[in-house]
Amino acid sequence: MAARREPELGRRGLAITGLGTFTGARVAERLLESDAAPRIVALDLRLPRRLEGRVRFHRVDLTEPTADSLVAEILDKEGCEALLHAAFFSDPNPDLELSHELEVVGALHVMNAAAAAGLRKLVVASTAQVYGPHPDNPGYLSETHPLRPQRDAHALRDRAEMEGLLRIFGQRHREMCVTSLRPAWIMGPSIDSSLTRRFEAQRVVTLLGYDPLLQFLHEDDWIDAVELALERDAPGALNLAGDGVLPLSTLLRLAGKSVLPVPHPLLYRLTQLESLARTGDLPAAFYDHLRFGWLVDTRRAREELGFEPLYTSQEAWMSFVVARKLRGYR
Amino acid sequence: MSERGRRAGGPPPEALAELRASVRALREELEQRFGVGDSEEPDPGPAGELAEAEAALGADVESLGPELAAEALAVPSPRGGLFEQLRESVRARLEEIDVVKLYEALRERIAIPSAGDISAEVDDFGLDLRYLARARRWLDWLYDRWWRVEVTGEEAIPDAPRVLFVANSAGILPWDALMIAHAIERAHPTHGRPRALVADWIATLPFSQSRLARLGAVRACAENAERLLAQDHWVIAFPEGQKGALKPFRERYRLQRFARGGFVSLAVRLRAVLVPVAVIGSEEVHPILFEPRILRRLLGVPVPVTPTFPLLGPLGLMPLPSRWRIRFGEPIWFDEVPVERAADPLYVNRTRELVRGAIQNLLDEELPLRRSVFA
Repeated sequence: MAARREPELGRRGLAITGLGTFTGARVAERLLESDAAPRIVALDLRLPRRLEGRVRFHRVDLTEPTADSLVAEILDKEGCEALLHAAFFSDPNPDLELSHELEVVGALHVMNAAAAAGLRKLVVASTAQVYGPHPDNPGYLSETHPLRPQRDAHALRDRAEMEGLLRIFGQRHREMCVTSLRPAWIMGPSIDSSLTRRFEAQRVVTLLGYDPLLQFLHEDDWIDAVELALERDAPGALNLAGDGVLPLSTLLRLAGKSVLPVPHPLLYRLTQLESLARTGDLPAAFYDHLRFGWLVDTRRAREELGFEPLYTSQEAWMSFVVARKLRGYR
Repeated sequence: MSERGRRAGGPPPEALAELRASVRALREELEQRFGVGDSEEPDPGPAGELAEAEAALGADVESLGPELAAEALAVPSPRGGLFEQLRESVRARLEEIDVVKLYEALRERIAIPSAGDISAEVDDFGLDLRYLARARRWLDWLYDRWWRVEVTGEEAIPDAPRVLFVANSAGILPWDALMIAHAIERAHPTHGRPRALVADWIATLPFSQSRLARLGAVRACAENAERLLAQDHWVIAFPEGQKGALKPFRERYRLQRFARGGFVSLAVRLRAVLVPVAVIGSEEVHPILFEPRILRRLLGVPVPVTPTFPLLGPLGLMPLPSRWRIRFGEPIWFDEVPVERAADPLYVNRTRELVRGAIQNLLDEELPLRRSVFA
């Protein structure tokens, strides 16, 4: 376990792209709470009201063709040392072109700007879903496993493409610490994503005959991990997940939800669901995650980042369930 | 005005007459059927007559027997006819039988683990101890009664932290894996449930996958085997892989090619002890006639054809009750082998063939010892 170094961010600035996302906003709030808070430079389309006056805000649209030089200019002017790239769609966006522009080209702009401004560190909030759920996945996926997003999942395909670019970028810029964080499904009392909405329903659609093991990462652990990655140097990709796994059926039973098992050929052919989900993907893109295993091996994050999740997968799940239940009783 | 007066005074006379007639008819019917009736003259008032009829009805029913009578009288409308009352009483009896309790008792009897038996704790690969405990009676029955497994050589199993069992495989469903695990567990009850590595296509088969995982089966791949051994689990491997599971009946007990010998390099690297295992009887459980390639291409999974499957549908997957023998061979230690040899393909290949030869020898020794397949 690496020794906990004195954060050097206090002296110089930390840039966060995508401050409006769950990750961006939470990390900013967490850092502002500490005494040695760094100067936070926010790059986004709009500033969250809660953070007004506490961060230096610059309006940047990463999908613009010249966004890279604009970002580089801001980073240089503000004297930033590190950058957290969290400007991703939290849910698969039905606008495939815009999605690609932001997820891949936007990230590329950020990488190039980071190199031009001579940053010391770049942390990217990716996802463990880029490995893809496949029948021939090993029980636990290590960071060296090839990324195989499914053909139907455009958002994951874009994310995997971005990861590929990031890997090449990291190899080219050895002087910079480039970290990609790959969390399992993030669960918790306050996070709201297409994933949590799927599990909020009283009746959850599952695939008949399939009961994969799942793992979750608690939202607080996720913010901890991002903070750790900004503090310590652990270049490369890092899988993040809570300890322990549970079968989907057990999770739903613990949550007191009823299940609606549907044969997978039928579910995959229900094109109606495609428009209902508003993701632009076929239902298979999501439901494969409830069919095949895609557990990640978190040893590297433990050893190189010293990341110890406070919540197990089950606790993360239950905190989500309990919070939603209480909200229902309001 | 007159109409209003009639309504206020009570039921219309024609309706009253009708009622009287029906009560009389009912009474006559009762008298005819049971030969019991009251000979007293009826009261002139309609209310009195009705009450009398009711009382008579009660007396008649009581003569049927105290139990049935109580039930019949408990029915709110005694005017509904005798048959209806009897039907009601039968229905009440039926309702007394608790279907849920009956089902529970039945389930207790045959000990089939249900979804309610899952626990909130599973290990890394989904082994569920509660589910396993529940399934144990069932597995015991298969082991002792159905296949009458005889075990030899189990005293040779070393008490090492990491043991890799290598066995011949056969059958559409991994019954052999379950039975070997059972045999090992009985010989070494303290070392926990051995984990069996099962072929890919079984590990992803709907329905069977989740159940097998709860019983300790894991998809066979190098990463999984390494993780399990590193956690000091005992592991059962079937290096014949899919070739072994789908080999035709005429090639039974002829070991197929062992994949790439990943199990050897794994044992060398992780200092595990290799134990060859020969299973006799498992290859007759699902006698595979042939495996049509067209079906595999169409469905994406291999579909073996046995005398009963797919002819009889899922029922055809019932394993045949052959008599089994499980023989554990002499363990092979790699303590003195330098770890670098794990990456030496020639050494790995040689050792792999050595193990294969050992298992084939065990099979050849054991086969003549049994008198018949099923007896």
